[in-house]
Amino acid sequence: MADLDIMENDSKQYIVVKIGNEQYGIDISYIDTIVRMQKITRVPKAQRHFKGVINLRGEIVPVMSIRLKMKLEDDEFTNTSRIIILKLEEKGMLGVIVDEVKEVVTLSSNEVEKSSGKGSFINGVGKHGEELISLFDINAIVEEKENA
Amino acid sequence: MDVSQYLEIFIDETNEHVQTLSDCIMVLEKEPDNKDTINEVFRAAHSLKGMAGTMGFKRMQRLTHDMENVFQEVRSDKIKVNSAMIDLLFKCLDAIDGYLNNVKASSDEGTEDNEHIIKELNDFIAAANGTVQTEEKPVTPVEEKTENASGDADYLQIELNDSEKDAVKAAEEAGQKVYGITVNIQKDCLLKAARAFLVFKAVEEFGNIIVYRPSSQDIEDEKFDLTFSFYLVTEEEDFDKISHAAGTVSEIESVVGSLVSYADIAGAEKKEEVPVETVSKTEEITKTIQTAPAAPAQAATPAAKKQAAAKPVTGRTVRVDIEKLDALMNQVSELIIAKNSLVSISSSEAGAFQNQTFNEQIEYLERITTNLHESVMKVRMVPIESTVNKFPRMIRDLARKLNKKMELYMTGEETELDRTVVDQIGDPLQHLLRNSADHGLESNEVRIQRGKPEVGSIFLNAYQEGNNVIIKVGDDGNGIDVEAVKNKAIERGTITPEQAESMSQKEIINLLFLPSFSMAKQISDISGRGVGLDVVKSNIEQLGGDVEVQTVLGEGTTFTVRLPLTLAIIQALMVEIRDEKYAIALGSISNIESIPVNEIKYVEAKEVIHLRGNVIPIIRLDKILDIDDGQKDPENLTVVIVKKGDSLAGLVVDNLMGQQEIVIKSLGKYIDNNKIISGATILGDGEVALILDVNTLI
Repeated sequence: MADLDIMENDSKQYIVVKIGNEQYGIDISYIDTIVRMQKITRVPKAQRHFKGVINLRGEIVPVMSIRLKMKLEDDEFTNTSRIIILKLEEKGMLGVIVDEVKEVVTLSSNEVEKSSGKGSFINGVGKHGEELISLFDINAIVEEKENA
Repeated sequence: MDVSQYLEIFIDETNEHVQTLSDCIMVLEKEPDNKDTINEVFRAAHSLKGMAGTMGFKRMQRLTHDMENVFQEVRSDKIKVNSAMIDLLFKCLDAIDGYLNNVKASSDEGTEDNEHIIKELNDFIAAANGTVQTEEKPVTPVEEKTENASGDADYLQIELNDSEKDAVKAAEEAGQKVYGITVNIQKDCLLKAARAFLVFKAVEEFGNIIVYRPSSQDIEDEKFDLTFSFYLVTEEEDFDKISHAAGTVSEIESVVGSLVSYADIAGAEKKEEVPVETVSKTEEITKTIQTAPAAPAQAATPAAKKQAAAKPVTGRTVRVDIEKLDALMNQVSELIIAKNSLVSISSSEAGAFQNQTFNEQIEYLERITTNLHESVMKVRMVPIESTVNKFPRMIRDLARKLNKKMELYMTGEETELDRTVVDQIGDPLQHLLRNSADHGLESNEVRIQRGKPEVGSIFLNAYQEGNNVIIKVGDDGNGIDVEAVKNKAIERGTITPEQAESMSQKEIINLLFLPSFSMAKQISDISGRGVGLDVVKSNIEQLGGDVEVQTVLGEGTTFTVRLPLTLAIIQALMVEIRDEKYAIALGSISNIESIPVNEIKYVEAKEVIHLRGNVIPIIRLDKILDIDDGQKDPENLTVVIVKKGDSLAGLVVDNLMGQQEIVIKSLGKYIDNNKIISGATILGDGEVALILDVNTLI
């Protein structure tokens, strides 16, 4: 990371998380906080990918399983599981469950390869050393359409 | 003079006065001879004029001045109230509203002169008076008046009633002097009442004031223009001393006066007839003087003192930004959550905390937080009056437009609701009323044919029921033709004929709440575009309420709007279903029963229980909430009987946890759950419990 200390104007910071075997990056400007796994209260009749709600310092925050949203296997909560609390201007706070939080990286625009595709939750792939990081399109995740 | 700081007060007060005028004019339309109302109208118009003048809104002042002239004529019985006049007055009110909106938007009254209205007003006076009073015709009268004011000696025109004359006579007989004095205040004076008070104080050094024009009450309330007059009884020979004392009060333009004698007054009396209203206006003073004719000032002085004390009255109410109240409410919510967690610690952790003082203190804390919450809620509560009092006028206009005779009856305007709810309930209610007027009521001919009273009735009744406020809006018109709705729905493809067969009447009527479903054969500008009931419904649901329809074909329709009294904190019963905790609002719970399983009966393959003469459907919460794990029923079921209006339902729960004050939190915008869950709350131990919306279950 040391080589990235001098930031370029168009570089962004990402939090790198693990879901399954893949590494994903979440734009740090969307992130309010990261909390450990806690009791999630199930909400009946909610969309399937919503695990329920949690009490975050006195506020009710809905929690989404990004795995279910991406049609992956259901989450298995472990010691490394975390809930990343995203804060969105319009709709308020939303928690997403990830298997593990790894690090914070800074990617400049020339390290990011844009990609787009219908029904995809990824809007780019970042290269960080030897590793590839899929960058989440936060708006696509929040978007309430079920992607078939 | 910079008056911008008064702008807000001006807007509020103008609103109030316009509303008063509107109400009074409605009354006048029905009772053209109601003197009290005429006086009230006059006062409101007068205050409006004064306020507009103070703020420098010349156009508005001119319009209100001419309105006032009309009222003046009515008051002195020179004009009879008729419907053309009422129409004209409403036009004036709309024009004033227009000015007011301009003022709100730009702090300026705008440039609309409303010449035609002013002309109509003047024509009206002229037509009614013939040409007798042409010299009184005010074109730009306000300016004239203020200009003239400086030299006026109005005291010469004072007409006295008998007791006042007696007082003058008595003073003369006692060898005292009576001076008639008129004081003119400077045009830009903002605190006229206070100046008048200072003048009175100054002259009362010399003697007693026996007559006030206008009355002392009106002077106190600043209900006078720039001049006021009074009679002073004194031993003082030199009038200059008195006029000098009065003249030293700042912002006084001039003080005019002279000695008056009883003979003058009695003589002047014959020249002019005493108008009726002068007497009524001074009645108050008459009474006080009658009781103590020789020393009338005893009554007058306390009145003047009261005026000094009256000033801080404005300070007893405080305007608070609703956001500040919200912040306060949030703090109280947090406090209650913290309190709940203390309560749960004290009840769960036996041992260390189990001592009596601790428990007592906890109970004390509970009481305080509950009271605090109630106080904060009350601060946010306002009567629905402010929203519904514009409806009579609206119905009147609709009656004209639709050419149907109708009458609006309202009750319960004093019912209080949370401020945010009151602000937003106006549109839905207005819509329902328009619906009643347009679709509900038949035309007058049809009504007569059907043997109904020719004049249709529309009603709006509001009252509190438990934790809800109910507002019923309805009419005695045609009712909803269920068959017609059904056919329309089939025609539009909303439902299939097969579906229609199996639908209950209620379900069919509920189709009316679907988006873009309009029954109107003709689109009018009043209703019929199909953006109606669905918007009403969604507006009301946004406020946490719901709306229902009852209708009898040929007899009328009633819409029942149910709104929660409070939005943030409620008393709730906590229940357990398997290992999940849910809250049910206490306000919707009727009672709790333990029912043996074998008492469950079946009606149309649905489970019901028979309880004290009621057949109550059973709702298995575990099934509804998708936690049915096939667990066998125990011998006795715990059933929470909930009510919504007249309908009851029994909710089967596993376990009761007790009553608790809960803070309602929204689930946010992400989760869509068919509205069964109306929100969530945080329990004492930090756990989240969901709040069941009983209204959607029944």
